[in-house]
Amino acid sequence: MGTCFSLIARPLSFAARCILFVCLRVRACSRAQRFELLKTRMVTYDGDANQPEMPRGSLVSRYLFSTDHKVIGLGYLWLALISVFLGMAMSLVMRIHLVWPGAHIPFLSALGNTPERYATLPLLHGSLMVFFVLTAAPQLGFGNYLLPLQIGAREMAFPILNLGSFWASVVSLFGMTAAFLAAPQNGITIWIASICIFLAAALCSAINFSVTAIDLRAKGLTLPRLPLTVWAWLVNAILGMLIFSILLAACAGLLSDRLFDTHFFSAANFLASQPANVAADPLPVLWQKIFWFFAQAEVYVAMLPCFGFVSHLIATFSRKPVWKERLVVLALCAVGLVGFCVWGQHMFSSGLNPFSPLVFSVLAASLGVPAVILLVSWFCTLWKAQIQFNTSLLFALGFVSLFLSGGLSGIFLARRELTSRAGNEDFVTGHFHLVMGVAATFAVLAALFFWFPKLFGRRLNESLGKTHFWLTFAGVYCVFMPMHWLGLISGSAKNAGADLSSAAGWVGPVRSFITAGIVVTVFAQGIFLFNFLWSLFRGERVEECNPWRATTLEWSVASPPPPDDFGAHEPVVYRGAYEFGVPGVAEDFIPQHVAPNRVARAN
Amino acid sequence: MPGTIAPPDIELVIEDSRGGGGGGGRPPDGGDDGDDNDYDRQRGRQPASPRRFSTAIAIAMVSILMFFMALASAFLVLHHSSHMWVAVHLPRILWANTAVLIGSSFLLERARVRLSLGDDRGFRRLWLVTTVMGFLFVAGQLVAWRQLAVQGVYIASNQASSFFYIFTGAHGVHLMGGVAALLFVLLRNFEKSQISRPLAAEITSYYWHFMDGLWVFLFVLLYLGK
Repeated sequence: MGTCFSLIARPLSFAARCILFVCLRVRACSRAQRFELLKTRMVTYDGDANQPEMPRGSLVSRYLFSTDHKVIGLGYLWLALISVFLGMAMSLVMRIHLVWPGAHIPFLSALGNTPERYATLPLLHGSLMVFFVLTAAPQLGFGNYLLPLQIGAREMAFPILNLGSFWASVVSLFGMTAAFLAAPQNGITIWIASICIFLAAALCSAINFSVTAIDLRAKGLTLPRLPLTVWAWLVNAILGMLIFSILLAACAGLLSDRLFDTHFFSAANFLASQPANVAADPLPVLWQKIFWFFAQAEVYVAMLPCFGFVSHLIATFSRKPVWKERLVVLALCAVGLVGFCVWGQHMFSSGLNPFSPLVFSVLAASLGVPAVILLVSWFCTLWKAQIQFNTSLLFALGFVSLFLSGGLSGIFLARRELTSRAGNEDFVTGHFHLVMGVAATFAVLAALFFWFPKLFGRRLNESLGKTHFWLTFAGVYCVFMPMHWLGLISGSAKNAGADLSSAAGWVGPVRSFITAGIVVTVFAQGIFLFNFLWSLFRGERVEECNPWRATTLEWSVASPPPPDDFGAHEPVVYRGAYEFGVPGVAEDFIPQHVAPNRVARAN
Repeated sequence: MPGTIAPPDIELVIEDSRGGGGGGGRPPDGGDDGDDNDYDRQRGRQPASPRRFSTAIAIAMVSILMFFMALASAFLVLHHSSHMWVAVHLPRILWANTAVLIGSSFLLERARVRLSLGDDRGFRRLWLVTTVMGFLFVAGQLVAWRQLAVQGVYIASNQASSFFYIFTGAHGVHLMGGVAALLFVLLRNFEKSQISRPLAAEITSYYWHFMDGLWVFLFVLLYLGK
C-alpha cells in the first residue's frame, strides 16, 4: 500500500488520479491480501515472484493501460456499478416528480427541472442502464474476467483491441452524460455519437469474445465440455456482433442526418409513419422513440449471459448436473437466433416501414419454446436436490421468478397488434423492466455473490446480502406489478371507452404506491453498496481456492488469480463442467482439471 | 483401470463416469481444433494460436456484411416507399473503378501463387501493383464524388444521393483498412512476428476479395436503384 501511495503522489493530472484511485484501491487491496495469504502459508519466496510477466513499469501502464483481461473486466464492473447508481437516482427523480411534481429534492431535482430535461431523463436512465449495466456487467465485465479463466486461455485473443474497446466505452459513458447536460439539439448529436462509439467498441469486444471462445480453449476442452456460462457468452457475442453492426448502421444514418443533413430518418418520414395522436412537437417524442428502438435489440443481449449464470449457479448449489445440458445449449442458441429475427421486425416497425405484425407475433411467441426449456431445466435441476440456500442462489431463484412472471405478461404483448402498443406504455414498461432490467440485475448480483471470492479473495456478507435480497425482491414486485395494471386500465379506457371512472380513481394512489416501492427498493440498494464496499476491505477472507466446491477451471487458481492466471503449468481439461454427485468418488464433485488418476476414490 | 497410476505423458484416458453426459467419451484433442495450438503453447507461455486471426477476420466480415445489409435494406425500403426519391445519375468512372478493383483481386491471387512458389521478388512486385490499384480505386471514387458535386448533387440533396455518398464512403473507409493490410504484408518484417507472411497474405486476401464482392453488390444495388 505504501508504495502505491508514494507513486500516486507523482505529478499526474487530476482526472488521471481520480480514475487511478478507484482502480488502485481494488488492486492494492487484493495484492496486499495475496501477499498476506502467502505469508500465512509459510511460503518463503518473495510475493512478487509469482508475477514474472508484469514489469514494474509506471502505474499508468500497469493499471490504466494494462491489457490483462482481469483488470479490464474489473474496469467494466466498476463502470457498471457507477452507472447503475446514476440510473437509479434518475428513476427515483422520475417517479417522485410524477407523483409530487412540486417536491424539491436536493441535488436530484435539478436534473429534471425543465420539461425538456424531464423528457430526457428516461433516455439517459435507459441508455445508462441498458448499455453500461445490462450489456457491460454480465457480458463485458464478468465475461472479460472469467471467460479466459474458464477456458484456460490466460488472455483474450486480442488484448490490445480489448483495452481499446474498454476505453472507448469509458469515452462513450462520458459522452452520454455530457449529452444530458448540453443543450437539447447538441445533446442529441453527442448522444448518438456516444452510442456509435459504444457500438463500435461492443463490436470489437464481440469479435474478441467469439475468437477467444472458439480458438483459445485449453487442451481437452471440447465444445460439449464448455461450461454453460461460456456457451452463453459465445452465443451472445455472435448475436451482439450481428445486431450491434445493424444498430451501428442505423446510428451512422442518424448521425449523418444531423451532421450532413442527409435524409435517412428525416422528420418528414418520421412523422408520416406515426399515429395521428402523436404530439406535433417531435423533439421529446424523438428522444423516447430512439430509446425504444435500441431497447428492443438489447433484451436478448442482456438476457443470454444471465441464463448462463443461472444455469451454472443452480447446478453448483444443487450439487447436481444441469438437467439436459445439451438441450440447454440448444435453447441458448435458439434464443440467440429467434431473438435476432424478432429484432429485425422491430427495426422496420420503428422508423422505416411496418412489416406484417403477424410475422413478428409468431416469432415473438416462438421465443417461448427455448424459454420453457430453460425453465424446465432449472426446475428439474433443483428437483430433489440438496440445495444450499445462500444469497447467490437466492438471487438466481429470484431471477427465475422474475423471468417467469415477466414472461407471462410477454405472451400478452406478443399477441397485441403493433398499433395498440402506444396506448399502454405502462404495461410495456412494467413487462420489460421485470423480465429484462430487474431479472438481469438479479442474475448479475447472483454472479457477483458467487464470484466475489474469486475476484477479491473475500466473501460478501451473507446476512446483509439476504436482507438486501428480500427487500429488493419484494420491492421490485411492488413497483412493476401495479405498473402492468395501470397499463391495462389506460389501454382498455382508450380502446373501449367504457365507464372506467371508478377504476381511474385508483390511478393516483397506485402511482403513489409505486413511488413508495421504489424508494424502499433504492434504499435496499444502499445496503448492497455498503456490503460491497465493506466486504472489499473487511470481508471474511477466503483461504482456499475453491470455496463453493465448484468444478470449472477458474476455481483451480488462487483467489484473486495471479496476473498470468495459471502460472507455469498449462491447464488440461478431462471432463464436462457439471460433474456433481458422481458415484464412487470421495467428494460430491470432480473439478474439470483433475486428472482421472488423481481423483480421490471413496472407500 | 482408473485406480492404477499411469505415467503422465502417455495419452490421457478419459474416464466416463456418467455414460456420455457432457461428452466425456472423447479424447482430449480428438477431432477438435486443439492440434495446432499445442505446438505453440509448448514453446512459449503466450497462447498465440495464429488461427485466431483467420477466425477474427471471418467474424469481422460477417459483422461488416450486416452493417451494409442494414443500409441496403433501408435503401430498398425507402426507394419503394418514398415520395421524394430522385435517382442519382451514376458517373461513368464507377465502371472503371469496378474494373480496377476486380483486376486487383486477380493480381492478388497471382501474387499469392508466387509466394507459395517461393518467388519473393515476383510476390513483392505483384503485391505492390495490387496495393497501387487499391489506391487507384479510392482515388477513382473521389473523382466520382467530385463529378457529382460539379453536377450539384451533394450528400444532403435527396435520399438517393445520401445513400450514394454513405455507401461509397463507408465502403471506401473499409477498403482503406484493406489497403493498410496490404501495406502491412508488404512492409512488415515477419521475423519476430506472431504471424507468418503466407498466413497474413491469406487473411488479407480474404478481406480484399470480400471488399471486392461487396463493392460489386453495392454497385448493382445503386445501379438498379436508378
